[in-house]
Amino acid sequence: MCLLPLVAAGQAILDKPLSARLTGYDIDVTLDPEKHIVSGMMTAWWVNNSSMPVGEAMMHMYLNAFSSNKSTFASRGNWSASGKDGWGWVKVSSMSDRKGNDLTGLYGYVSPDDGNEHDKTVLRIALPEPVAPGDTLVLKLDFISKLPSPIRRTGYDEDFHFVAQWFPKFGVYETAGMRQREADGWNCHQFHPNSEFYSNHSVYNVSVTLPSEFVTGSGGMLIEEIDLGDGLKKVVWRAEDIVDFAWTAWPGYEVLDRKWNHVDITLLTSKTGLSKADNHFEAVIYALEYLNERVGPYPWPHLTFVDPPFNGSGAGGMEYTTLFTTMGAGAIPSFMKMAEMVTIHEFGHSYFMGMLASNEFEEPWVDEGINSYWEQRIVDHYYGDGYGLLRLPFLKMSDADQGRISYVTSPNRTIATNDLPSWMYPHGTYSMMSYNKAAVWLHTLEGIIGTETMDNVFREYYRRWAFKHPSGQDFIAVVNDVVKNEHGNRFGEDMNWFFNQVLYGQGECDYRVSGITSNRIRSYSGVVNGDSVTYTRSDRSSDTLYLSRVSLERLGEVILPVEVLIGFDTGEEVLENWDGTGAYKDYEYTGVGQVVWAKIDPYDKIDIDINRMNNSFTLDPSGATTRRMMNKFMFLVQMMISIFTL
Amino acid sequence: MTLFNTLKNGAVKAVSSYKQILLIWVTTLILVLAVGFPLRAFLNMIFDSSMIVEKLNDGFDIGVAGDIGRPFGALMASASAGTFLLSIAGFFLMTFFAGGLFRRFTMAWGRQKVSDFLRASANNFLPYLRIAILMMLIIGVLTFIMIGLPGIITMAITGMQTPSGIVMKILYVLWVLVMPVWLFVADASRRWVAATGSHKTFRALGAGFRALRERFWLSYGTVLAVLLINAAFVAAVFWFASIATPDKGIMVFLFFLATQTLVIIRLFMKAWRYAAVCEAVQ
Repeated sequence: MCLLPLVAAGQAILDKPLSARLTGYDIDVTLDPEKHIVSGMMTAWWVNNSSMPVGEAMMHMYLNAFSSNKSTFASRGNWSASGKDGWGWVKVSSMSDRKGNDLTGLYGYVSPDDGNEHDKTVLRIALPEPVAPGDTLVLKLDFISKLPSPIRRTGYDEDFHFVAQWFPKFGVYETAGMRQREADGWNCHQFHPNSEFYSNHSVYNVSVTLPSEFVTGSGGMLIEEIDLGDGLKKVVWRAEDIVDFAWTAWPGYEVLDRKWNHVDITLLTSKTGLSKADNHFEAVIYALEYLNERVGPYPWPHLTFVDPPFNGSGAGGMEYTTLFTTMGAGAIPSFMKMAEMVTIHEFGHSYFMGMLASNEFEEPWVDEGINSYWEQRIVDHYYGDGYGLLRLPFLKMSDADQGRISYVTSPNRTIATNDLPSWMYPHGTYSMMSYNKAAVWLHTLEGIIGTETMDNVFREYYRRWAFKHPSGQDFIAVVNDVVKNEHGNRFGEDMNWFFNQVLYGQGECDYRVSGITSNRIRSYSGVVNGDSVTYTRSDRSSDTLYLSRVSLERLGEVILPVEVLIGFDTGEEVLENWDGTGAYKDYEYTGVGQVVWAKIDPYDKIDIDINRMNNSFTLDPSGATTRRMMNKFMFLVQMMISIFTL
Repeated sequence: MTLFNTLKNGAVKAVSSYKQILLIWVTTLILVLAVGFPLRAFLNMIFDSSMIVEKLNDGFDIGVAGDIGRPFGALMASASAGTFLLSIAGFFLMTFFAGGLFRRFTMAWGRQKVSDFLRASANNFLPYLRIAILMMLIIGVLTFIMIGLPGIITMAITGMQTPSGIVMKILYVLWVLVMPVWLFVADASRRWVAATGSHKTFRALGAGFRALRERFWLSYGTVLAVLLINAAFVAAVFWFASIATPDKGIMVFLFFLATQTLVIIRLFMKAWRYAAVCEAVQ
């Protein structure tokens, strides 16, 4: 057993470690802003927490995704360098272990995901001697990282530098049972266009030497900034228990600070972004408040986010736990909350993938889907239920609807299940499936089990899995436990029936009111007398009874329990619960009132229903709304004609 | 003549031309109904017996667009194409009727039969069309020089996504202040055509510029005053139309009456500008 290196022993930020801290990095580099090269040395360590010796190590070399347009990232993501200086790469010039053994020649590139021989984003190191259980592997590396252009997540444009995925970083060594894994082994995926995160919570001590005029920010806490003379400075950061470390440097940054409870929030923005800084701060504080209350505490005392300049917009909308990037809001009118949505979404990743460090490559829905669900809840909660994303007197859209539209209008919504690895989604359906379909069925789950239970699910998910590596199955287990605890067997033994359909199934959900009929029941009275019958019929309206029938259909394969609200001409309303299992269902009512309308899912709980047009039916369709819309259209055109003609 | 008298006499003449203005209104209404009715039928067909239409009671919920599905694209295409065609037709129509209105405001005051109004409209149509196109070109080029070009340069220098800054604000104000000049020249040119019966476009424009130079402050002040009042009126009616969400049959009918009344008032205000310019030139 070996003690952890000294770099990890100190606590500079948090009172105590939040994670197992199986990996850590001491990095000392210099930025050459003319050549856009970051070079220096790194000491990286990894603790073997398994019960078996490990004879190899795997590291991300993600900047190599930009070294060729034949890499998996570049070829599938349609990226190419802006010129001969635009290529990016990371090279290890020397590597040795703690004993000073030179490891040069013991490592090479592998492509575990697609076998692409041109992809050099995963490095496999054959160790001269295995790392014993509980022992620590220490690697000392000299490396050079050349940043790419145009920026895609990472890179440079002129003097703007966003430095992400820039150093050799360990994959995750998974032990048997972890994330339902059968045997121990490294989990280290290639760099893909749609996913890049699965790492251990680590400790980072990072020093960067660069020209003094550069303003910097990172996912770490600033420990010190040293003036080295000759126009140079050294910036020293430390970060604890985060899954990745990124930083940025640009002379044009304006730095703004706010405080929320224990968190010092720093915004790096351009001069033109200053006017919208308040909007971004407000959004990130909303997200902090909401997630702290409903999921769990944000533990770090620092948070930095970046509104990149226009030429750096390729770095926008990314997440590195305690550092994230948003998008410029300058050109967006105040009635649209697109930039705020991005801010909230990227901050949300501090939780979903940052603290709850799921595997974005293999189960993107656990990362992007859950995060999109929370982003939509936050946006619609703070900016207006029903109009969180867009609010005009005559036009509105909620954030949840924005996501739902993507799913329900997609012609490929049944093409695959929702549990595929990120690079396996066919026909460009990654975003629609990972972000939007997942968010839609999470809203549906909330509709079924209730908002309070849903919040408790996430509180428990956080309690069990924060600073660990949960899988989708682990999340489902939490759902099953919490729902069982709060609702007993109301929804069955467990909620697997739900996930089997929406996550592991390809079917779609569509309920329909197919018709309403009402027939008067005639009241007869009469006498049979031999061969003759005499009878009278009562037609008095007060005695009239009606037999009304509401016919429902399930058009899709997905079976979900739905509420049905039925309205009578007497003003009476009846709420029914249909388990949705049959292909159809009739509700019949006998009484003085006639059914005049019916609504399936009247409170819009079943977001995953692909067509809400057919969820309701009325015998008296009001043309008032369409007449009003026509009136407004005509008025608008008439006014335009009078205004825009001389 | 003072500015006040010019505006007052112009207003009196505009109000006195109510028959002509109502004729213009009826024509525009028929024009827009030609697109409005099919659009409404299309909407009714889409929604059929669904109650989802309730979600549109307080503004169009884009979330409903997802449920409408493909017909929504067709609806948008129809509405866009309809609006474009109506705009073109409306441009010709308003240019046509301007001929009749200017004739009325320049002739010896008295009755003008509808047939005379239409005859004057037809007679002046081609020169008015040429004047309108020329003036719109001038305004377009000026807008590009005053707003477009500086905006592009500003964005290139600052790296911003929208033109802003004090220089742009000054340019916006200047552009607004220059607009009455061009409107006055357009109106005075058309007045010259109506008064002289000549169809010579460039001579008419020359007469317009001459009239501006001879009585600049009265001319400029007249159009600026009418423009400002018009702008306030248009802003108010758009605000009203956007927030009004009647959802019952009778309320929708009242809303229709209200909006059409506002259109008529707007046409009166346009005629007021024509008449006031004619007064200022005389």
